[in-house]
Amino acid sequence: MIEVKQLYFKYPTMKDYVLKNINIKIELGQIVAIMGSNGSGKTTLIKHFNGLLKPNEGYVKVFGKDTQDESVAALSRKVGLVFQNPDHQIFSDTVWNEVTFALKNFGFEEEVIKKRVKWALEFFNLIQYKDTSPLLLSGGEKKRLCLASILAWDPDYIVLDEPTVGQDFLQKEKLREVIKMLITRNKTVIIVSHDIEFIWLLQPRIILLSNGEVVKDDVCANVFKDDASIDKCGVIKPQFVELFDHLAPLLPHPPLDVLEARSTFLKLMKKGG
Amino acid sequence: MFWIAEGLIYRRQDSVFHTIDPRIKLLISMMLFFLSLVSSTIVEFSIILVLIFFIGALSKTLKRMVRTFVFSLSFLAMIFVINILVGYDIMFSIIISLRFISVVSSTSIFFLTSSPDELELVMKSFYLPYDLIFAFVTAVRFVPVIMLDAIQILDSQRSRGLEIEKGNFIKRIKNYIPVLIPLIVQAIIRSEELAEAMESRAYGFSKKKTSYYSLHLRKRDYFAATVAICFMIVFIYAIYFLHI
Repeated sequence: MIEVKQLYFKYPTMKDYVLKNINIKIELGQIVAIMGSNGSGKTTLIKHFNGLLKPNEGYVKVFGKDTQDESVAALSRKVGLVFQNPDHQIFSDTVWNEVTFALKNFGFEEEVIKKRVKWALEFFNLIQYKDTSPLLLSGGEKKRLCLASILAWDPDYIVLDEPTVGQDFLQKEKLREVIKMLITRNKTVIIVSHDIEFIWLLQPRIILLSNGEVVKDDVCANVFKDDASIDKCGVIKPQFVELFDHLAPLLPHPPLDVLEARSTFLKLMKKGG
Repeated sequence: MFWIAEGLIYRRQDSVFHTIDPRIKLLISMMLFFLSLVSSTIVEFSIILVLIFFIGALSKTLKRMVRTFVFSLSFLAMIFVINILVGYDIMFSIIISLRFISVVSSTSIFFLTSSPDELELVMKSFYLPYDLIFAFVTAVRFVPVIMLDAIQILDSQRSRGLEIEKGNFIKRIKNYIPVLIPLIVQAIIRSEELAEAMESRAYGFSKKKTSYYSLHLRKRDYFAATVAICFMIVFIYAIYFLHI
């Protein structure tokens, strides 16, 4: 479990706190979306989960261990962080070696490395590029490679910073499938994103941040009922929710997915005659 | 380690020294640079360093100047040790080390107090080719951006288990390869994108470029230049003729 208690943080060159009194617990087997406007502290918060940043006050504990006492490498074994820009990570001569990098750092045995890298590259449909330079891959492929290089060491928490930026519809679908698969394996996926449509279909727990403070921490359906909070955090409702908000007086409850929406629509149309 | 680089980056500041014409700031910087080269005693270097730190206090950049100073300390120690190892006496090694620190600090005065725009205007006033000016000014302008990139890359590799400070000296140098390669690749990508963006906005279309700002010397600039030149003359006279 990741436990954040009364976390306050500010960068050395800044006067004001970037994170203020953050209290959250994230258990295994959850999908958690962290949302908020630019500069609300989302990326700063996730950098605390693997110890890249340490709190000024309060604590962050990962499986009971205070991040102040642990190295980034030790914490990263449990919490895999996929950064927004793949070009900030890629450096190896081949796609294969790019995925082996972390596994070698963590001291996995050669046979295990081979097995895991092969699995990760096959899973993300990159095995055909294993001897290619990763710098020659397209933007979407690079993004998948970064994800593969993190999943290869099988961390319990997978933190994705803006995973859908620059991804086409099919890649987003694939990513959603990956996230759902990870949940079946009792992993936790933490997503920082502005892509509201992508988040809505995952129906995660949502943590809304504004000016470094948690404004709302609830399940997706409840968060989008709270107009004041989502306005404060600069988040817009999915078009789907917006539409059914307008139809609310005619419905017993808002539909959760497209199929339910379709059947609700059909019922309404039949009623209308 | 990146906080050290802060000592080389321009920040907008409300100080008297910042308002001086950049050509005069360059003159003061070059003068202190020159005096650092011709000085040869501890007293002379002390005077130069006191003057540099006085300018640092005047321009409210002292804190960041000290970072440049700390940054050069490791090189200073290296220069000192090498001089001792090759057989020079301690006094000579100290003089060479002090010269190094004065040269670095005097150069940083100009860069800490002059914006890239001012740098461009100064270079234009020397009638240098615009392509050269543009390349140089862009390089200076991109230092903070590249620094941010380096921090992001380092975070990214540390998140994949890289322990940069682990191992012996050779291993530590090798540890920087996963940081340096993406940094260089990013810089190349950025330069290509910048070139395309510049061409899309008609860079190079007109031979004669106009400028929004132009430099004009004011009373305070003449005053600063006079004080600087007088100081240099007195200093050189004291060294070579009065043998102080």
